[in-house]
Amino acid sequence: MSSKNFKQENVGCYLLETGNAQPYKPGTQPELKPVWDKDLCARCALCYIYCPEASISRQEDGYFDVDLKTCKGCGICHRECWFGAISMQEVN
Amino acid sequence: MDKFSLYAAQMLSFNERFAPKGHNACKGCGIALSVRQVYKALENIAGDFDSAKWQIPWQKDTIVPSDNDHSQLSLLTIDKENGQTLDICFDNECCDKKIDITGLIKRQPPVAAASGYTYVATASPSHPFDLIDKIRSAYKSAGSAFVQILCPCPVAWGFDPENTVRLARMAVESRIFPLYEIADGYYRVSAQEKNPRSVKDYLSRQDRFSGWKKKKIDDLQEKTNITYEALIDKSNKGL
Repeated sequence: MSSKNFKQENVGCYLLETGNAQPYKPGTQPELKPVWDKDLCARCALCYIYCPEASISRQEDGYFDVDLKTCKGCGICHRECWFGAISMQEVN
Repeated sequence: MDKFSLYAAQMLSFNERFAPKGHNACKGCGIALSVRQVYKALENIAGDFDSAKWQIPWQKDTIVPSDNDHSQLSLLTIDKENGQTLDICFDNECCDKKIDITGLIKRQPPVAAASGYTYVATASPSHPFDLIDKIRSAYKSAGSAFVQILCPCPVAWGFDPENTVRLARMAVESRIFPLYEIADGYYRVSAQEKNPRSVKDYLSRQDRFSGWKKKKIDDLQEKTNITYEALIDKSNKGL
């Protein structure tokens, strides 16, 4: 599905159908991304439960990683990490 | 939060059913976070959860405000197995009128309990396991149930998106949104705040209260204390 520009949208970019997030590519260009420090991470999964975008997933080794296709860089995981293992870094 | 409850999230399933390919909410959206935690609570229990209907869809609620209510409510209705319903209210306190003391201190849960809901609870996304417990026991309760969830909105409230969970926690800590449940008319407070935060601390983090005078804040603090003491009284008496 090709992406639309804002003139083809309703007033206020107001979406009427459901399941329409994909053509807009949410989180394509976040300014910041979370980066895990594996020495400090205790694998407690608090970042997983607090992510509003459902973009954090558990890897095979038990640590967590982010899917940058849906991450918007809000920084909740960085703020809520009990051990301070997550830092927000700029996306190149 | 003690040392071991940190690891309670390991008990959850790591399958994602809520918007696995992303959604269009703003960054740091409190409603998206609450909806995801409700999905987490019900994903293995409720068979017909996919056919649940939104009475007021949550995409609309910042754009089309209602005229007749103090706070804007998005309502998700889930049909339970026994024919009753589970109503979940995602409350982000946004409306066209300015927020006032009457909108900040919630009256909907006692009203819902008085009007025939057998299980009524308040929940916050900053306490996710409490929320998951309440949604599950609401789903298992015999009659119809009502759960009200406070969802901070970074755009309308005016704070940095990374503070969404922290603001929800501060609302609980300052006793302005106490977590409790009313099962069959009996009150039970889920987390008693022994050393509460001041209401001023909670209000000063948000831009929407920038015009509030000191007298109004003191008034709100007084009303919050009265409401909370009445709630603790009801909980202790077993009423």
